[in-house]
Order: sequence, then structure tokens, then C-alpha cells
Amino acid sequence: MSVDADRIVSGFESDGHGAFVESYDEGERMVINMGPVHPATHGVLRLKLELEGETVVRCEPIIGYLHTGMEKECEDQNWRGAVTIVTRMDYLAPFFNEHVYSLGVEQLLGLDVPERGRYIRMLMAELNRLSSHLVWFGTQGLDMGAMSAVFYGFREREILLDFFEMVTGLRMNHGYIIPGGVWEDLPDGWEDAVARILDVLPGRIDEYEELLSLNPVFLERTRGVGVIERDEVVALGATGPIARASGVDWDMRRDAPYECYGDLEFDVPVENAGDVYARYLVRMAEMKQSVRLVRQITERMPKGEFKNLDPKVTPPDRSELGRSMEAVIHHFKLVTQGFAVPPGEAYTSVESPRGELGCYVVSNGGTSPYRVHVRDPSFVNLQSLPLMVEDGLIADLIASIASIDPVLGGVDR
Amino acid sequence: MGGVSDAIGANFVTARLDKLVNWARKSSLWPATFGLACCAIEMIATTMPRHDLGRFGMEAFRASPRQADLMIVAGRVSQKMAPVLRQIYDQMMEPKWVIAMGACASTAGVFNNYAVVQGVDQIVPVDVYVPGCPPRPEMLMDGIMLLHERIKRGEYDAKRVTA
Amino acid sequence: MSEGLWFRAEEWAARADELKADGWRAIDLCGVDRLGLTDAGNRFEVVVQLLHMDRRERAVVHVAAAGDPPTVPSVTNLWPAVNFMEREAYDLLGIHFDGHPNPSRILMPDAWEGHPLRKDYGVGKVPVEFVPQPFLQLDAPGQATTSEGAGRTVDRLGQPEPGEDGVSRPDGAMAPSGAITPNGDES
Repeated sequence: MSVDADRIVSGFESDGHGAFVESYDEGERMVINMGPVHPATHGVLRLKLELEGETVVRCEPIIGYLHTGMEKECEDQNWRGAVTIVTRMDYLAPFFNEHVYSLGVEQLLGLDVPERGRYIRMLMAELNRLSSHLVWFGTQGLDMGAMSAVFYGFREREILLDFFEMVTGLRMNHGYIIPGGVWEDLPDGWEDAVARILDVLPGRIDEYEELLSLNPVFLERTRGVGVIERDEVVALGATGPIARASGVDWDMRRDAPYECYGDLEFDVPVENAGDVYARYLVRMAEMKQSVRLVRQITERMPKGEFKNLDPKVTPPDRSELGRSMEAVIHHFKLVTQGFAVPPGEAYTSVESPRGELGCYVVSNGGTSPYRVHVRDPSFVNLQSLPLMVEDGLIADLIASIASIDPVLGGVDR
Repeated sequence: MGGVSDAIGANFVTARLDKLVNWARKSSLWPATFGLACCAIEMIATTMPRHDLGRFGMEAFRASPRQADLMIVAGRVSQKMAPVLRQIYDQMMEPKWVIAMGACASTAGVFNNYAVVQGVDQIVPVDVYVPGCPPRPEMLMDGIMLLHERIKRGEYDAKRVTA
Repeated sequence: MSEGLWFRAEEWAARADELKADGWRAIDLCGVDRLGLTDAGNRFEVVVQLLHMDRRERAVVHVAAAGDPPTVPSVTNLWPAVNFMEREAYDLLGIHFDGHPNPSRILMPDAWEGHPLRKDYGVGKVPVEFVPQPFLQLDAPGQATTSEGAGRTVDRLGQPEPGEDGVSRPDGAMAPSGAITPNGDES
């Protein structure tokens, strides 16, 4: 594929396209502010840019414009209620936030999740990865002028959101994955819904690759742009597609499997160039691998319970309340106070669409979290932005931001 | 009057000027890009093919507040963002309207804490509140259509009369 | 109670050097205010999550912050990944990091006073007050209201009828003399 790309680009350039004027008034630097209200900063990100002409000499991201005090708010909720707060952090990947928090609480409780619950969690996670990457695809195209991309990306995302609504009742910020399993079972007819998604999506992903992957304008704008080397990526702690596009072969689903990812077969796409184009290729390949994973999960979905029915943690079914006094007492305690978690601390992490999403929970034995800290991948990935954009043009800066795919809700929490 | 109308026939439409102006204003409200958090994604989804805000002439989200007449505050407003919000609102030209989209913009939603402004109406006057977390695109469109009704009636200054 | 290694602030720089030389990388750094924990030794600590990619191992390190203001040596020069994380711990908990290249607030506004995540800093809840307001009828445009002629005090879009103040009262009750503004004050 890269041989084709080289051939196309050299043909493009030899025709005289893609050249730009290199001279500018030397020695005159401007400090320009970009954002926080800006159509291309992916949210309320503010950048302080030092420019020489059109070249970015220095870039300093200033964040905090979406700081919601979520970590403090979690300390004010009970363990089950904090799920609704945590889910709103990285709002394009809400299942992942809930998942990582639930894993942390389960580790403190020593709670097992039944196999069906684990498979349902993986199913929602992979579909969420698809919907998040579709938004990335849309915004990457939109920011670079390929406006059709955003319409295509969101059109596909609607199909996935329909499925989420069918299962959880909401299109975003679901509150579905809870400590103990998932809140409700998958509804009847879910296999058909997923089959319809899997019929449509792979073909559409191929169409979008056709639209952009060998497009000479896209290649000119993304190859060699926003380059970050492998050792810089490791030093700056960037994870996820950014790291994999610079040659770091690490994916938590394969290298530190959680839930039942160890039973499934999938590849981890890795590129070496470290530029915007490499990150594009990695994410497009990840979308295809997610489709493959969803197919396997659907085939292997086990029967059984979908959440741990320990009455100290999960409220009993409402039909029990008419028959058993114990059920009433448990229900009452869980609704008024919530369950208590033994003292301790735990750090769990999952592979979210943006990288390693981690959650550090500390309990002091009460019914409220003592400390919840979420290691958001975008918060750490943003530190690699200044290195990517140094000595590039402003237009390259826009392409680089889109390729980092930051979600400011997670950055600022 | 009769003679002139007969002569002109059906080639002209007569109307009161202010009704015409209100109709024009409501038919091409241009929103300013003020998506902050999760509601911004649903706001983008409202402009996308499934729900298509373009049928109201509103798909043109202007990045510059000088060119916009509607500010849809979509998302939670943090303490650091509040002065920015007010500045953007002040930079918009009259007549301008504000829709508080979502629970966080209306009343801070689930976040009653130090970091979130408890409702964007603490900072800017709001015309329509759209509840939800996040509101479905259909709900946002319902709020927008309610605003259209208001504009058609010419009542857009009513909210700013009282202190 | 807490697993992992415990270090004092003075030895953290040297230990971090050793860990990095051994191939560990810092994945996460956060501060914890131990005011409410039963085995509270010193009040503030910094917790660092480490990952060794080759050995596929994880470890956690606790560093006790010493002094007032609580201070810990910065490890930004070893692991640039913790740059933003240390700034966040300073901003939200007030833990100072010696040697950090840019020790400034990152999430709160620069002029903010106090460190919100500390246990003696309140959540900042605002009590929700209910003030009498004209009830906004959210009918869809073009739809007739259901209670036509039932003594409406507000019109279809929620504005008070002329001569009314818009607050619904039981039949027969009169509005108090004097206009009521939305803030509830009599004017």
C-alpha cells in the first residue's frame, strides 16, 4: 500500500501540485491564541501558538475549560452512583469509562462477573470503539476540508447508537456497565440488530478507505506531518493509536487481557512512520479488527447470568420483593445507602479508543468512594502535541490535533 | 386600493414589514459553535443526515460570533469557561438568542459542585431550555422550533426586560 | 493496607532513577489526601502507577509528601509523561513538586484560591431553591392547549396574560397587591 502511496504522491508533485511558497518575513514572531472556542480544536482546547509567518515555533496547550470536578463529585455519590459521573468523562467512549471504574470496584470487592456479563461488556466496548473511531474519522476529514467524511462518519454512528439505545435506553452516557456486571440483559432480537450492523459497516469502512487512503491531497496533507518518534512517544506516555502508529507494539487487550479478550482472535495494527497518515491507517485497521471481534463475540455469547447476583451488591429482582423479607431489607439498604466496599485501593485499566484508560480507586470501608482518579488517555496524549507540531504549518497543526483525537471531557474531567 | 390590486393581480404579496422580518430571521438562524461537552456531539448529530438541521436553514454553524445569531450552549460550563462564554455572547450582534441545551447548561445537571456554573442563565439570558442528558436530536429540534415560534411572534426581547 | 512500595519524599528521586534504569515507565501519577483514612501516617501522598512493557508487569509506588506545604521531588525529567499529572496534583491537592518546569495551575482558573480535591474543601453544592415562576407550557408549536378557558394566567408560550402575574393559584385566590417580579420581590 505504501508503494502505491509513494507513486501517487510523486506523480502528484511532479505535476506541480502540492508545492508551497517557502519564503516569509524572517524574525517576526507572533503569539496567537487559538481557542477555546474554535471549530477545529475538538472541544474547548486552548493553544498558545508562537508563530513565524505560518510556521508554528512553539505550541502550549492550556486546558481546564471543561473541568467539572468529577473526581470530587464521585466522592459525594455512592459506589453505584459514581458510575453516572464517571461515564461523562470521555463522552465518546462512555462504556469504557464505566467499564474501567467497575473493574476497579470489583477488584476491591473481590466480586466475580459471570461470563455472559463479561461478553456483553466486551460487545458494548467494541461497538463503542467503532462509534468513537467513526467520530474521529468524521472530524479528521472535516478539519482537513474533506467535509463529506463527517457526514459519513456520523451516519454510520447513528446505526450504532440505535443499537445502544435498544440495549441501554440511551444514545450516550449510558450508565449500563456497573460493578457486578451489566445493568440489564441484552434484549430479544439483539443478534439481528448486530447482524444488520455487521452487514453494513465493513463495506462502508472500505468505501471510506477508498475515499481517503490513496487520495493525493490527503496524502500530501498527512504524510510526514505531525511526526513523533518512538522514543518520544514512550517518554511522553502516549498510548493507544498514537503509540501504535510510532512502532510501539502494545495493546492491553492482547498484552494484558482483561475480561475474555484472551479467548478472542484479533490483530493489533502497528505502523512505524509516526505521522498523521500512520495514525489514520492504524485507526482504520482497528475499526476492521473491532468488526472482527464483534462477530466472534456474537457467535460465542454464553447464556447465563449477566450480573453477579450477590444481594449485598445487586438489588434483588422486583418480583422477589413481594415474597422475601430479606430481599426487601437488601433492596432498602442498597437504595438508601448503597453497598460498602472493604478498605483498600486498586488500579485497573482498559484499552480505550484513545489509549490506556485507567482508574485508581481508594476505599476507606464506606459506601462512598474515598478517592477516584481516572487516568485519561487524552490528558496524557495531549502532551505530545507540542512535539508533533513544532516547525510545521498551522494547517499541519490542525491535522495533528485531529489525529490525536482528544476528548476534552476526559482531559479536564 | 382595489384598482391597484386588480391591476397587479397575483404577482405581488403584501405583508407587514415586521412579520416579514421575523419570518426571515427565524428561517435562517445561524448557530454559533459553542459545543462544550457531550451535548455538542448530539448537536453535531442534529446537523447530520439522520436528523438534518439543514431543513431549517441552520446547518451553517458560524465560528465567528459576529456572524451568528443563535448561541446553543451545549454542555457544562466550567468556572474557567464562564468569562469566555460571556465574551462570545457579547460579541454576537443583536438580535440574538440563546438555547441552553442539556441539563448542564440549564441547571448544571448532575454536577452540583465547585467547578460548574449552576446553569448558564447565571451568565447569559436564556430563551429556551432543552432538558436531557444529552437531549436527543429530536428534543433539540423541538426546542429550536419553539424558539422559531417565539421569533415569529416577535417576542425575543421579552426575556431581557426584567432584571 | 496499601500494596506496593512506600517511599519517603527524600528518597523518591533516587528510587525513581533506579526504577527508570530498570525499564519501568510511569503510567499515572496522582495525589491522595489521606485525611479520612484510618491508617493515616502523613496527610498527603503521591501514588505512581508503573508499567514494565517487556516483562508485562505493573507496580504501584506510594511517595509520602513531607512538610508544609507538602512537597515531593518532581520526576518530570525522568518521565516527561508526568508533567501534566504533577501539575494536576498541585492544582487540585496542593502538593508541590520540586523541580517541575512549569508549576502552575492546569485545571482551575489561575486566580483560584484553594485546592478543591482536599478533604477539607467542600464539594461546593449550591442549595436548589424553587422560586414561583409562571409555569412554562411546552406545547408543540401549532398545537392547541388542553385547558382552554380554565382561567389561564399564561399564554401558549409561557408569558403572563396582561393583568395577571402568571402564577396558578386555587380558584378564587387573588394575586397579592403589587407586581411580583421573577425574583420574588415585590416592586
